[in-house]
Amino acid sequence: MTLAEVPALVMLALAAVVGVARVVRRSSLGDRAVALDTLTAVISCALLIGASRADDGLMLDLAVVLGLMGFLTSVTVARFIESRKDDQ
Amino acid sequence: MSDILGSAVEVLSAACFIAGALLALIGTLGLHRLADTRSRMHAATKPATLGVALCALGAALQLSSTSDVTKVVVIVVLQLVTSPIGAHMLGRAVGNK
Repeated sequence: MTLAEVPALVMLALAAVVGVARVVRRSSLGDRAVALDTLTAVISCALLIGASRADDGLMLDLAVVLGLMGFLTSVTVARFIESRKDDQ
Repeated sequence: MSDILGSAVEVLSAACFIAGALLALIGTLGLHRLADTRSRMHAATKPATLGVALCALGAALQLSSTSDVTKVVVIVVLQLVTSPIGAHMLGRAVGNK
């Protein structure tokens, strides 16, 4: 248990708030996809820190799943943006 | 001796956590500050690769069981392989307007 985990988690919480603000604010679909991609990375970092804090493997499983989901999400959104452009 | 080594590992892992979290914060701030989608993507890549890798290194130094450390390695490899692919596809989709 180290003292650095709490300030690191606070910084990650701040980063998550800033990222969510980017998603909520009026911006293009691509910007939102990029921001959501960043948010999954931030949550992965928090899960890794939480896993080392609790010495618990369950959070690592969650981080693996989140990484895969984040990849599939950004690829799907990218394909959606491409297909929407083709229609116009 | 092992006491000194143990505290050195703790300090190293703490530094990794702080650096990773700081990168995440700077990356999300960059999402607001930078001008267009591709520049924002450039800001977003730092927490996605180096941030996660640093947090994973810090966690791997602290975790006690070998299977947990293996999972951490899987997370980092997955992130390093998938994040450029996703960014490439998004960049191509956003770029050709």
